[in-house]
Amino acid sequence: MKRFLALSLLCGLSVGPSFAQPATTGPMPVPPTDFATDARRSAYLARANEVLQWYVDSVKPDNPATFQSAQIAAKLARREDAAAVSARIVELMSVPQSQDMFWMFPWTAVSYLGRDQLTPAAKAAIRGQWKTYFPMRGDTENHWAMYYASLYLMSELYPDDPADSWFNGKSSAENRAEAKAYLVHWMDLATTIGQGEFNPTHYIGEYAIPMLYLATWAKDPEMKIRGHMKLDWLLADLAENTLNGVLRGPNARTDDTSVLQRWLALSSYFSWQCFGNTPPPASYGGFGVWFAVAAANYEVPEVIFRLANDRSEDFLQRDLKRSRRKWRYSDELMTPVYKTNYMRRDYAVGSYQGGMTDPIQAHVWDVTWAVPDPRGVHNTMFSVHPYASAQAMQMYFTELPDHMLALLSSQGKPSYDVPDKILGCSPYERVFQDLDTVIALYDIPADDRYPRVNGFFSKDLTDVTPDASGWIFARGGNTYLAYRPLAPYHWEHLLGYKQLPSKVGYKWERIDRGEKGDKLLVSPHGKNGTIVQAASVGEFKDFAAFQAAIRALPLEFKLAPVPTVKMRTLRGKEIAFTYGQAPKVDGKKIDYAKWQLFEGPHLNAAKGSRKLTITQGRLERVLDFNTLTITDRVTP
Amino acid sequence: MRLRSLSLGLLAGAVSLAAAPAPDFIIIANINRNYVIGSKIVTLNGLYQRDAAGAWRHFGSNDTSLSAVAFDPRDHNVIYTAALNGLWRSLDGGQSWRMCNDWSLTEARDVAVDPNAPDTVYLAVTDGVAVSTDRAQTLVRRENGLPGRGKYTQAIEIDRTRAGRVLAGCETGIYLTEDAAQHWRRVFAATDTVNDLQQSPHDPRVWLAATQSAGALISRDGGVTWAAFPGVPAEHALYNITFDPANPQRLAIGSWAHGVLTSEDSGATWVARNAGLPGAHRVWRVGADAAGRLYASVFGETLYVSDDFGRTWQPDALAGSLVNQFLLLPKAAN
Amino acid sequence: MKRLMLPHLALLTAACAVAQPSVEAPPPSRAPVPDAALRREAYHRRVDEVLHWRASGAGRPDPATMDMAAIAIKLTLREDLDLCSARVIEMMKDPGTGPFWMFPTVCVAYVGRDLLTPGARAAIRNAWRTTRQLRGDTENHWAMYYTSLYLMAELYPNEPAETWYSGKSSEENLAEARDYLVHWIDLTTSRGQGEYNPTHYIGEYAIPMLFLATWAKDPTMKQRGHMMLDWLFAELAANTLDGVLRGPASRTDEGSVIERWNSLASYFSWLLFGNTPPIGGYGGWGLYFAPLAKNYELPEVIYRIATDRGGDFVQRDRARTRRFWRYSDELSPAVYKTNYLRRDYAVGSTQGIMNDAIQGHAWDVTWAEADPRGKHATMFSLHPMSSERAMQSQFVTYPEPMIKGVTFEGKPSYDSPDKVVGVSYYERVFQDLDTVIALYDLAPGVRFPHINGFFSKDLVNVTEDKSGWIFARGGNAYLAYRPLAPYHWMKYLHRNGGWAKAAEDLGGRLLVSPHLKNGTIVQAASVGEFKDFAAFQAAIRALPLEFKLEPVPIVKMRTLRGKEIAFTYGQAPKVDGKTIDYAKWKLFEGPYLNAEVGGHKLTITHGRLERTLDFNTLTITDRVRAN
Repeated sequence: MKRFLALSLLCGLSVGPSFAQPATTGPMPVPPTDFATDARRSAYLARANEVLQWYVDSVKPDNPATFQSAQIAAKLARREDAAAVSARIVELMSVPQSQDMFWMFPWTAVSYLGRDQLTPAAKAAIRGQWKTYFPMRGDTENHWAMYYASLYLMSELYPDDPADSWFNGKSSAENRAEAKAYLVHWMDLATTIGQGEFNPTHYIGEYAIPMLYLATWAKDPEMKIRGHMKLDWLLADLAENTLNGVLRGPNARTDDTSVLQRWLALSSYFSWQCFGNTPPPASYGGFGVWFAVAAANYEVPEVIFRLANDRSEDFLQRDLKRSRRKWRYSDELMTPVYKTNYMRRDYAVGSYQGGMTDPIQAHVWDVTWAVPDPRGVHNTMFSVHPYASAQAMQMYFTELPDHMLALLSSQGKPSYDVPDKILGCSPYERVFQDLDTVIALYDIPADDRYPRVNGFFSKDLTDVTPDASGWIFARGGNTYLAYRPLAPYHWEHLLGYKQLPSKVGYKWERIDRGEKGDKLLVSPHGKNGTIVQAASVGEFKDFAAFQAAIRALPLEFKLAPVPTVKMRTLRGKEIAFTYGQAPKVDGKKIDYAKWQLFEGPHLNAAKGSRKLTITQGRLERVLDFNTLTITDRVTP
Repeated sequence: MRLRSLSLGLLAGAVSLAAAPAPDFIIIANINRNYVIGSKIVTLNGLYQRDAAGAWRHFGSNDTSLSAVAFDPRDHNVIYTAALNGLWRSLDGGQSWRMCNDWSLTEARDVAVDPNAPDTVYLAVTDGVAVSTDRAQTLVRRENGLPGRGKYTQAIEIDRTRAGRVLAGCETGIYLTEDAAQHWRRVFAATDTVNDLQQSPHDPRVWLAATQSAGALISRDGGVTWAAFPGVPAEHALYNITFDPANPQRLAIGSWAHGVLTSEDSGATWVARNAGLPGAHRVWRVGADAAGRLYASVFGETLYVSDDFGRTWQPDALAGSLVNQFLLLPKAAN
Repeated sequence: MKRLMLPHLALLTAACAVAQPSVEAPPPSRAPVPDAALRREAYHRRVDEVLHWRASGAGRPDPATMDMAAIAIKLTLREDLDLCSARVIEMMKDPGTGPFWMFPTVCVAYVGRDLLTPGARAAIRNAWRTTRQLRGDTENHWAMYYTSLYLMAELYPNEPAETWYSGKSSEENLAEARDYLVHWIDLTTSRGQGEYNPTHYIGEYAIPMLFLATWAKDPTMKQRGHMMLDWLFAELAANTLDGVLRGPASRTDEGSVIERWNSLASYFSWLLFGNTPPIGGYGGWGLYFAPLAKNYELPEVIYRIATDRGGDFVQRDRARTRRFWRYSDELSPAVYKTNYLRRDYAVGSTQGIMNDAIQGHAWDVTWAEADPRGKHATMFSLHPMSSERAMQSQFVTYPEPMIKGVTFEGKPSYDSPDKVVGVSYYERVFQDLDTVIALYDLAPGVRFPHINGFFSKDLVNVTEDKSGWIFARGGNAYLAYRPLAPYHWMKYLHRNGGWAKAAEDLGGRLLVSPHLKNGTIVQAASVGEFKDFAAFQAAIRALPLEFKLEPVPIVKMRTLRGKEIAFTYGQAPKVDGKTIDYAKWKLFEGPYLNAEVGGHKLTITHGRLERTLDFNTLTITDRVRAN
């Protein structure tokens, strides 16, 4: 369970340099209007340089602790202070290293950025650690992407070194072959049956950065173009899933903060850096600098840039993804994830079909709305079953059952085993979405650890109105929302977490923000459900008219023997959805088996095709991993 | 590019000339020496009109590339100029202009307006002929009967007695249309370019042509048949030819090699009239005004004028000019 | 109507009396830089060198030193913005005319679209209303004219006819410009370049195409600009040796034809490939490419073609002549171009055609030099044709004035018997690998009834052999030159292009053969192929060679490469008994560039890299071939 490494690195950096970050603390970026190549390019490079400048400025001559790998990389990227950088590297490399693949990729970047700047001693110091330090490979796809991309590039940088000069006892050629074989396998998997860690709020960095490094530094033209194509692929996926630069919809893996404040995620750094349409998080997300140091070597394809910035038309995108690997207690190693995202100017609705994708960090569905400035805003509505299970953990991890739940809290996941948690997926949740209607049904066994459903009601909602009809109406930004719990409920304050100083693992205390804080709709019933519908304020004369329209919609449901709902949506669709059965729309069954890898107006790929077509207006870019071909087309 | 007289009023010759109001005397003059694309234009070039005091007054755009000008006989504010870019038209006396052609037409050599169908404009270009029937708002090629190659058209002249009757001086000879360029037929074969065509202001049946390698030609049947003037040498290019509007017997030719050649017996005999012209008297154009004064534009020098039909010459105003056309423009119908 | 680059350049270079590092430094390493990131950084450093050189030579205290290039560059560098606006307003009081004023102005208008004051922007816009712009008479003029008009019409859409010099609305201007550019691209990608292999004019195409690729709002035009830029640079890459353009040129000048490096093409090689020094002042026009250069990334496959030659190669292309307005059965006959490039030398030719009335260059053998600056690393012959009729065929002129005129318009040598630039009606050329046969059948009465052979000051061991061959060595190339008629020597006197009037003695000789029926054979080989110079001479002497000059010149010979060549003036050449069929030539055919006639599609290949530019579908495809 190595993900906490990512968080710790992120947190470590974000509390590092403590002075102004212009884009983070400044006003909201103006949405791009000039799409000319020079305007886009100069703004992109200026953003990358802001990051580098911030890190360069963070070095305090009298405080070596402020002169770490990120500052070193930033200086090398700007070709500054090569001598001082070399000396500092020798110092840093003179002590035992740690952080595994989170050590590997930064020092790979430093090695390449410094290949024509560092002293032989500094180069040798880094190279020496690749013999003496034994980084772990980790247990997640993002770990492996970082590990193998780093190993690949270092073995290309030192192409003919013998086995005894590498930590793993393999020669450069062996390491290169192993790394290439895995990376090709991973790309093959991701381009045929979908991303594993799909729509990640933070982990996009752990993929985008290694891919940028391959695209920039790989000598083998095949790996170079693969890196380039996969980076395009990742950013196209990000562009399509963001509204005003903020990532929306379900996530394979997120955290307690990002699931509420959708903007506060590393993905927002990438939106800022690549699309210029939202502020970056503090410290540029911590990992941002590692993209920035090589950003000049990549140009965001115009079709992707426009896809991220043009929300003049509503669109529905359906994608196929993968669950995390299930080592046991599952008939399949990786189960398919059917992801839906409906994007409108004022709000987004996203979901997957429910069930287990990741043991701890998944987020299944939500309705999120656009706000003028997303910083500090909890612009989301959703419900979850707070599932905590040692067996579920064992499914994914090579652990024994008994100590798992307690261990998690001390490893940085205090919310995993609490009844009021809002993060995570459940084997007892089934979700169906049609446009901007979501139905989540729950059939939680009575002996489940927490047989209840938590509905999240943001501090930023206005006009929250429980209605006699059973609907709870509210407004978020320019979006009207209707939330229908299918079983009795009560309200609780959602308690926050405050980390306490601790020398042994993490310690936390819960914080009650009172009436000003977020609220939890708690429905303590195993057979349960939630219906949410959304609409733009502009679609109705006023709030009352929206409420009337919702009330007027036929709705039948029952909870036993299993929850079932029949309803007409605001969009006039007749939905029939029974827990454990395929949903029906206007009498027609949804056949998930027919879902493509990507299907929508902007991203399209057939399952198994290894070929993604990105479309925006008259621009088209095709990434074909079968022929290692990038094709840019303009339709007349 | 040559003297053109559109005047129906001139049909009766000198007598009616006296009765008619004096026509305007307009030239196209380039003063900017050695202009090449990209260099700075440092003088006023293009259209000049002689005022009552005998001074040359510039009007219209400053364009070094004009080769010919034509006016709407009903309204002289409507001006057409053939130029490097193609055809420029002004509807306001030269204050503003429209480039009437697109990229498919370029390097216009000559332009003419049909006096009997004044909305119809003929444009001679490097690869044929284009026609407009709406005052050059739109232009279409009308080349049926012109050869696929060999239709470089240097001169286009309209028979003032009949609408749609037009002669074109091309690389491969003189071509005639009698249906407004719907059909052309060759009436004289040349191996090189026909440089100039003129209809007599005195007798519309009489036409003259100056050619590059076939000497000077005359037609007495409205341009259907042509004969060379025996007294005019053919071994060098003749640039233009002109009538004297004041005297039907007088003709003049401009030539780089021969300078000014004149005839005072309707072309029976010809004499070189270069005394007083400078240097090698490389004459670019000759022209005559309503009073019969003869003008010669000398390459690399300036404009000269003769009050005795070439026997003596004096420099005119507009120092350093090279004239591409002399135009006698009768007062507008309105 | 020629354009004015050289004097402009001279003035510019004088204006900026600060160092031009790469111009003055030793020649750069020619070793390819495989590392893409380092390659990009080096490219950006070269761009910055140009920007900083021009910026440092302009501005306060003398704003008059700021021409449009300096303004565009200072805007790019965000320097002296107030001065830029003031200077623009000043310069727009007296606008120029024609494409060479239009494209710099468009460059400033776009680079300054968010930086110039409203007054400065209005001044530019107003000049486009008040000042008539001449379109010019060459393809490069039109590329600049219509690109500029297109971009200004996009920058100021929906404006009425009276606000434009053309008297047409923004939409009319946009449509006309677009139609022409599409037509030109269509013609070029189906029948070849008109101004092919240009030593200088590459700038007049590359700069407008970069403008389109950077600024066009219409994505189809943006894509076309990008694709044509790649196309032009791929062609440049395939025709250079160590960054120096080789082989025949549609249009060149004296300076470039004898000192092949001395051309704007070398600026582009330097900037893009980094393998040769740039010319002084960065070629003048280079200053208009530099402000946008960082928005273009040279595709690696093109870079590799220019810098990483796998071995010798032959590239056969088609091109077009300049338009013949008259005295020709075709408007723009086909040019069949061959280029054979080896490590030590290059041999290039057309079939011998009057492609341009003044500036054509039909064939040569050029050799590699460690530092090409000041070196006359070339050997060729020509008929110094000076023809009124040739002038008339391509210009709207009378016979007599044009020849006089061009000597005032930047071509002082045109009417000189000892000139070394130009093509002739009376020359036919055939090349097989590194053998060139040029046959001449001059018409009686032709103005200059002789052939000039150029013998460079940089040749060594020039040896007139009793066999009739003249042997020499240039760099690491052995050369054998065989005149087919008697000759004498004269000093070569150089009349530079531009406005130079005086003839300079730069060294070198002309082999003058004053005979109407004539011919030249040249063969080349690498020094490393023979034990010594004598062995090369012996090998040449041993080759069977028969020729006669009456009734028309005929040559039958075996080449150093063992090919049996039979070539008769006016007839199709034969190689090993097989007649060369030019009708079968493709648009591009070779190891690096391939395209079908009429295909609108170029495939650029190097090693495992491939880039396809398909104008039929407006598609750019990058592919890496798997191992």
